[in-house]
Amino acid sequence: MITKNKSTRIILLIVALALAALLPYATSNYMLRVLNMMFINYICVLSMFVIFGMTGQMSFAQAGYWGLGAYITAILTTKFHVAPLLALVGSALGTAVFVLLVGLALFRLHGHYFGFASIGVVMTMNGIFQNWTPVTGGANGMGNIPQFGIGGWECNSDMSYFYLLLFVVVAISLITELIHRSSLGRSFMAIRDNEIAAKCMGVNSYFTKNVAYVISGIYCGIAGSLFAFLSSYISATSFIFPQSVMYLVMLMLGGYNSIAGPIIGTTLLALLPEWFRPLQEYILLVYGLGVILLMVVMPDGLIGGGKKIYEHICKRSGGGTGKNQTSNGVG
Amino acid sequence: MVLDKLCKRFGGVVAADEVSFSLVPGKVHGLIGPNGSGKTTLLNLISGVTDMDAGSITLDGEIVTNLPNYTRARRGVARTFQHPRLLRRCDIQANLFLGIDLANRKKRLPGHSAPKLEELLEAAALQFDLDDSITTLSYGQQKLFEIVRALLTNPKVLLLDEPAAGLNTKEMERVDALIAIAVKNNAAVLLVEHSMDLIMNICDTITVLNFGRKIAEGVPAEIQSNDAVIEAYLGRGRSA
Repeated sequence: MITKNKSTRIILLIVALALAALLPYATSNYMLRVLNMMFINYICVLSMFVIFGMTGQMSFAQAGYWGLGAYITAILTTKFHVAPLLALVGSALGTAVFVLLVGLALFRLHGHYFGFASIGVVMTMNGIFQNWTPVTGGANGMGNIPQFGIGGWECNSDMSYFYLLLFVVVAISLITELIHRSSLGRSFMAIRDNEIAAKCMGVNSYFTKNVAYVISGIYCGIAGSLFAFLSSYISATSFIFPQSVMYLVMLMLGGYNSIAGPIIGTTLLALLPEWFRPLQEYILLVYGLGVILLMVVMPDGLIGGGKKIYEHICKRSGGGTGKNQTSNGVG
Repeated sequence: MVLDKLCKRFGGVVAADEVSFSLVPGKVHGLIGPNGSGKTTLLNLISGVTDMDAGSITLDGEIVTNLPNYTRARRGVARTFQHPRLLRRCDIQANLFLGIDLANRKKRLPGHSAPKLEELLEAAALQFDLDDSITTLSYGQQKLFEIVRALLTNPKVLLLDEPAAGLNTKEMERVDALIAIAVKNNAAVLLVEHSMDLIMNICDTITVLNFGRKIAEGVPAEIQSNDAVIEAYLGRGRSA
């Protein structure tokens, strides 16, 4: 049963990828830009998935780290004329180091206190982006960021960015899924579910939280760098606290127990405003009410809630298609 | 493992007052005492969940007093909790693998291999689908599961905090069987328990605590007839 599930999953994945790869031919340029932005958001939501979904540490600073990644790329490419690929690596590493320093300090705090402190981090970072004019351009932001390219190949259209982002998104998703299934992922989840039990099972929680945070920081750094290339102009107004809240909502909407959650959540929240454009003025109202309803009806997100409904239906129909209850599950 | 004069105060309450005893590999050491006598505190001190005020803990001739609890866990100190602490949002597989991860993480002792999962699950009479959520297990099953997970880590010292509390008779037999496996694997077992049947039947030595102080230690028969113990549990008789 497990192997069958696995092979159907892989087939589904391949079909989805093939469809995604054909998407640019079926949509308008405008839609392509929406999708590109969705990919960037998705990477940040994955960073939220790692630090909050898996490790249970509510970090609101992700938008700040995303901004840091963007500014590092902007500075490296415009002021030092570094090659785009190197700038991307520089953003990932620079953000990782910064997040490590923040984590070393903030993980002395536990639970909500960590969350509150992380709000301080994103606000401080935004203040610096906004006001350190010689370096970040201050309120004017930074423009003239060159296109992304590797060697002779250059990303010069929305479609080429689409494929670049699709590649990065798939790669990061696979890495995240590998982490999710590894012993590292288990120690993340052990900290989330019961920190004392985790420690008693040999998990160094302070160290492990920092590992999770650095991984999430790398994701944000990459997303930020790609965002800078994509939009070629960045300003501090993008990298604000509400952006982090949005990542959190995207994660909670989909559900944070599996990687399918961030995919569904990000896609829905990126596309819904496009579909409901006639409701423009009411979109925030719909959105807010939706979040409230979701938390009441499906606290585990759409994936978790869907699973529960599916299991319920299986039970109703006599358990024929349900779980194999007698196997003793060894091996 | 040797415990030497462990002390712990919570404000004015003395939870552990110069408690000393040793745990011997392959033997079961019982720890009993009235409610609030400091049994769980002692387990917390040994496993490193709580820092101690004074005293020292030696494991295989090495002082582990100042090691954080995850290091102690990696050195072979495993424990269970009075109320099982499992990963509630994870499936059974992840919960089991947490124990196996720890076993892989620590240096294995020669001639001392972890018990087989199949053997443990049979002893615990646990049957489940690995993909199921851990919450599909009943309370008793979760407590048994926690012992299984602790045994999977191949512990040198196994601390059990009231493993039988809240279990039915059948499940208590399962606890018995699991402790027997621990003994067979040469673990030193420390058993905190209120069920006198279990304590008197399987313990090789028993330590009795009252108000954080050790008031008696001996084989079960000695403890049953010890005056100080009877007084601690039942109070002083009027005529005495």
